[in-house]
Amino acid sequence: MAWSNVVVSKVGTICVLWPLIAFAPPTSTALAQSAATPPEEPPLSKECQTPGVKLVLDKPLPHTLAALKERKVIKILTIGASASAGMDPSGGGYQDLIEEMLERTVAGLDVKIIDRGISGELASNAAQRLKTEVALTEPDLVLWQVGSNDALAQISADEFSETVTDTIHWLKEHNVDVVLVGLHYVSNLRNDPNYQAIRAALTRIADSEKIIRISRYEAMEIMERMRNASPSQRFDAFALTEEGYSCIAEYVVRAITSAIFLKRPKFQPTN
Amino acid sequence: MIRQPNAVDFWRGFALITIFINHIPGLYFETFTHKNVSISDSADLFVFLAGWALRLSVGGPNDPTPTGRLLSRLGGRVVKIYSAQLLISCLAIAMLAKAAAYFQNPLLLEWHNAAAIFYDPINAHLGLVLLTYQLGYFDILPLYVVLMMLAPVLVLIYRFAPGVLLPLSFSIYACALIFEVCPQSWPTSGTWFFNPLAWQFLFVLGFLLAGEEWAPGGFLRRHMRALMYIAAPLAVIGALMVQFNWWPDPTAVPEPKLLFIAEKTYMTPVRLIQFLSLLVLFSAAYPYVARRVPPLSQFLSMLGRNSLNVFCVGSLLSLGCQILRFVYDRSVMIDGAILIIGIGVLGLTAWVSEWRGATSSSARSAQSVSYGR
Repeated sequence: MAWSNVVVSKVGTICVLWPLIAFAPPTSTALAQSAATPPEEPPLSKECQTPGVKLVLDKPLPHTLAALKERKVIKILTIGASASAGMDPSGGGYQDLIEEMLERTVAGLDVKIIDRGISGELASNAAQRLKTEVALTEPDLVLWQVGSNDALAQISADEFSETVTDTIHWLKEHNVDVVLVGLHYVSNLRNDPNYQAIRAALTRIADSEKIIRISRYEAMEIMERMRNASPSQRFDAFALTEEGYSCIAEYVVRAITSAIFLKRPKFQPTN
Repeated sequence: MIRQPNAVDFWRGFALITIFINHIPGLYFETFTHKNVSISDSADLFVFLAGWALRLSVGGPNDPTPTGRLLSRLGGRVVKIYSAQLLISCLAIAMLAKAAAYFQNPLLLEWHNAAAIFYDPINAHLGLVLLTYQLGYFDILPLYVVLMMLAPVLVLIYRFAPGVLLPLSFSIYACALIFEVCPQSWPTSGTWFFNPLAWQFLFVLGFLLAGEEWAPGGFLRRHMRALMYIAAPLAVIGALMVQFNWWPDPTAVPEPKLLFIAEKTYMTPVRLIQFLSLLVLFSAAYPYVARRVPPLSQFLSMLGRNSLNVFCVGSLLSLGCQILRFVYDRSVMIDGAILIIGIGVLGLTAWVSEWRGATSSSARSAQSVSYGR
């Protein structure tokens, strides 16, 4: 059942992206033409739509855009809690979906995903490792899944904020863009003070640092509400989490394409 | 016959307790383990001492263990460690599954890299058996299995061409760092957390430094006081670097970068040098601890003598404690209870292991006497 959902979701995604793929210009001139006539904002599959709520805020990714112009290659380092391998039936994680969808959305674009996620890792450990991985892999963009493990390990929100903010500053100083992937939504943790404190801290950081945060929690919460899932139905929560990964891939693709094509000339902070 | 307390068992026991504590992220007492004042941690100590213990099992120059018996013993050890890895991985997965279902929290399925086993069970089970799929915090035994699989080759090289071992091991280590070679994980993406191509060097160093008095290991042991003058400042510098975050910017160091930065997966030279300096201090400290605090020496040595059993129980206990900390609010009292009960359970595990060993050896003696009659 879980696999079928993912497959349906993927097929849906490919279907809605098909016009972009099918009518994309030839690869050799694609990027030049894309810059002149940027692709339309990639639509979300039905499962991932959250009516009335904008989950991906438009913020710039200047270094990713520069890499795209200079090399036609974007290197994305994924770090933090590792997604599962099983999200994609071919054996890749949601990172593979991102790569596939980005390359389909923007013809001629070569995306290299370097996955260095370690499941269960706290922000403090990931932050330390992230610097080494940036030095070794030289990414243009870091996709950092952060917060859930710190909340589960009862790390204080202040300590968490300091770690994440310092690391974002370091990344900015080293000309690397960052996209934060926020906490999971778990209905049982709606009233957990530490979980919510970490979630609020991450939102504050993204706002103050003017960086993209993929609002996974909000998206999953809306998805659950739309289906009227009951917290007492055990396996709904599990299916929702699994499906959430496919949606994250779509949100990330939308955030990146919006940042590098649609809102390129100007930046206006949004709430 | 139970071994008397000694430095190797003592420091193994010490490593086991610190691994137990460090594997509960966020635990209050985690800030008191030596990793907070050291670039290296207990994993380095564990691997080095594994190499040291292997050297002792090879026998001395006058009474070498026969090659056939040695290879058979090493093969048995590999099977035992491999079985232990599979057993604790399965138990950990069951613990996570039960906790996720009981607390209605799917996040627990993703802890410790466990998600693949639930979402991609066919490949994940294959990966588990092949050791290419490792749960987080359950990733040091796969390294140990690989090192013990290499042990017969290592021993044979040492017996027939001792001068080759160190250059060969160093060459593999250097190539791994320069070309960033590391075994890939599967079906999850990424690489092994402990790169065996790099960590084998520490294992070989442990093996060689445990050598006879006339060998380089013996020479270094005889000049421990002189080594202290080099090791102490290095250890202090390492502590200051960790405490005050005095790390060089990894993007600014020259290529190959791994030669100049502190990194755990590749056990880089910065980490290795700091560990060796710490080791000199540890070696000097043991006689004082054994003389001044005999119960501590006896207790940690007991843990060290039964390291595999204690490690397995400690790993599962750490996971259980993580789940416990997730259920209850953060509190130093709870963390204190976890520490005390945890160390007690590790001690009980070691005691039961020795009691079982003693019981079965007495039974074997009685049986052989009875057959003799």
